[in-house]
Amino acid sequence: MNNVLQLKQLTKTYGDFAAVDQLSLSIKEGEIFGFLGANGAGKSTTIHMIASLIPITKGEIEVLGKNIVKNRRFAKSNIGIVPQEIAIYEDMTAYENVRFFAGLYGLRGALLKSRTEEALAFVGLDDKHRSFPRDFSGGMKRRLNIACAIAHRPKLIIMDEPTVGIDPQSRNYILESVKKLNAMGSTVIYTSHYMEEVEEICTRIAIIDHGKIIAEGTQAQLKSIITDQKTIGIEVRTMEGLNLEKLSGIAGVRSVEANEERREIRVSSDAEVNNLNRILKELLADGMEIRAVEERQPSLETVFLTLTGRSLRDN
Amino acid sequence: MKDTLWVFRRTMTTMLRSYKSLLLYLIGPIVGIGLSFLIYGNEQQVAFRVAVVNLDGEQAVAQDVASFLSGVERVKLSELQNAEEAREQVQTGKLDAALVLPSGFSQGMISGEGSAALELVSIDSSMAASYIRTYLDPHLESLTALGRTALETGTEFEEALAKYSSAASPVSAEVVEDRSVQRDMTNRSIGYLVLFMMFSAVNLSAFMIKEKENRTYFRLLTTPISGRTYTLSNVAANLVLLLAQIVAMLVVMKGLFHIDPGVPMWPLAIVLFLFAWVAVALSLVIVAFSRHSMTTLALQNLVIIPTCLLAGCMFPIDAMPESMQGIAKFLPQRWLLDAIDRLQQGTALTELGMHLLTLAAFALAFTLIAAYKFGHNKDTRTFI
Ligand SMILES: Nc1ncnc2c1ncn2[C@@H]1O[C@H](COP(=O)(O)OP(=O)(O)OP(=O)(O)O)[C@@H](O)[C@H]1O
Ligand SMILES: [Mg+2]
Repeated sequence: MNNVLQLKQLTKTYGDFAAVDQLSLSIKEGEIFGFLGANGAGKSTTIHMIASLIPITKGEIEVLGKNIVKNRRFAKSNIGIVPQEIAIYEDMTAYENVRFFAGLYGLRGALLKSRTEEALAFVGLDDKHRSFPRDFSGGMKRRLNIACAIAHRPKLIIMDEPTVGIDPQSRNYILESVKKLNAMGSTVIYTSHYMEEVEEICTRIAIIDHGKIIAEGTQAQLKSIITDQKTIGIEVRTMEGLNLEKLSGIAGVRSVEANEERREIRVSSDAEVNNLNRILKELLADGMEIRAVEERQPSLETVFLTLTGRSLRDN
Repeated sequence: MKDTLWVFRRTMTTMLRSYKSLLLYLIGPIVGIGLSFLIYGNEQQVAFRVAVVNLDGEQAVAQDVASFLSGVERVKLSELQNAEEAREQVQTGKLDAALVLPSGFSQGMISGEGSAALELVSIDSSMAASYIRTYLDPHLESLTALGRTALETGTEFEEALAKYSSAASPVSAEVVEDRSVQRDMTNRSIGYLVLFMMFSAVNLSAFMIKEKENRTYFRLLTTPISGRTYTLSNVAANLVLLLAQIVAMLVVMKGLFHIDPGVPMWPLAIVLFLFAWVAVALSLVIVAFSRHSMTTLALQNLVIIPTCLLAGCMFPIDAMPESMQGIAKFLPQRWLLDAIDRLQQGTALTELGMHLLTLAAFALAFTLIAAYKFGHNKDTRTFI
């Protein structure tokens, strides 16, 4: 498979501060690549360099095998960027917005019309052609923001946190459309603060912190990095009587999560401490009825927390 | 080129869609014409009520003065028998002025002694008095000169007077005056046009700042078009708008208000087009130096209104103190208005090289400053 995007020792400094620090990465055709990083990790800065919005301090970027500085127009025409902040014209209708941006990629005439309609349908705004974005909900604006980036059918679509602050319905719509776009042949880079989104759609993930990639691979690969921790899932009949604090106090236990829906208690603990008996005893003492006990893979959240020492979202 | 046109079209559509700005762009200058038409047009229509009190009887000279006055534009002449009555009517405002020709007036003229005895009754500093004086004084001087010549050459005064009257009819004065009003209207209209052009230019250039604030500018830059192409298309839209303003204004001025600028249309249009470039370039400078659209608005008012005032766009420059008139030499608006002034006085466009060059230099300097400043604003932080 060919590389759609390759970053080689990519660096961006502001004064002494390295926002992106010797970042190397290859993204292959057909991937949905997740970019995970806390606030200020350098995700947007990387994307801005790929989009030729800011100059590269050091290193190289290749899009479809061509250096983007030497082939700026080529690179730009093959990329569609969904910016983190919504960037659409409030004084133009949804249709005109998409049409205008698609036109900048050289589409004209009948093709322009059909692609514009297609992109709007794709994000579920086909009944809003003549509406102005100022009357839109946050989710609808986000979807229009996406439509403006995909009408020209780019090889590479880069979405910088496309689901910030929107309703669950719009979010699902967006996640579905990312999968559809991918199925239609676009490679996607997806950055998000929401772990579940990344877990749901991404085929490969890079965790970026302080401008550097600290881990990269499929979800299974990332989870297997964590060997000093075990996660135990305990299924119970009901959550009644559960005392999280008592469980957290047990030696070796790092965190306890309770999943009401699945009636499962997840305990993450140091791998070498043998504390399963203690945990079960405490639960039984509280009168809980245990249905099953299973070793579980650590969640991506745990992986992230362990690797970066901070949580993905600080809000 | 295709990209430029594409962005250009969007700019035009957006501009035309916001009817508020359209009002400013096109209706503004036309309102300006209407305004100057009212100001100067009215002045022309008000007639002065003047009475002649002829105490000198059936003398030819006295009769000549009276008939001269009645021929003057904007004078409504009546006759009174009594000087007292005339004074009273002036006092009460029934008359604007009264001209008393004392007995012996004609004799004084014929003998070449002058018109000292003539009395013009009016309220202090009344417009009517000075207006009448402007016409009457030269006429009386001519009559006195006529009297002197007649005396010296021994010809019959009455004969000379008849000859003189037929040659120097006051009708010619009327025509001259009429033209100058038209010119004043033209100059004022153009003054307002200049003001609106400059405002419109900044408004349109401010589109670029607004696009930065909406972040659409940065999104544009992720597409194949470059920042330069984008700016170019904005400038093109701006120039087209200003040219439309100029054309609309000239057409309305001539076609609707029948104001004759006293200049052939082409030279007038050419200097105005040149000024359009100045206005657009200046707007680019203003935009280049403002980080937010609020700054642009502030700078717009701060720069345009005082300079337009100083340059004589809103009021005649002669009303300004001498020192201010000196400052005006550094303003492009002054050079434009002055160029038009000279065109009206019959100077050919080809002889106005200095004016045209100065305007072009202003435009070029502004363009360069803006280009330099744009080149050094590489701030994309707002995008994050
Ligand atoms: N123009 C700039 N000048 C100085 N520092 C900058 C500039 N742009 C970005 N930075 C810094 O670079 C770092 C990386 O920022 P970036 O926006 O790439 O983070 P991010 O991963 O996208 O974060 P978020 O999740 O909040 O969007 C931040 O610390 C930011 O303050
Ligand atoms: Mg970001």
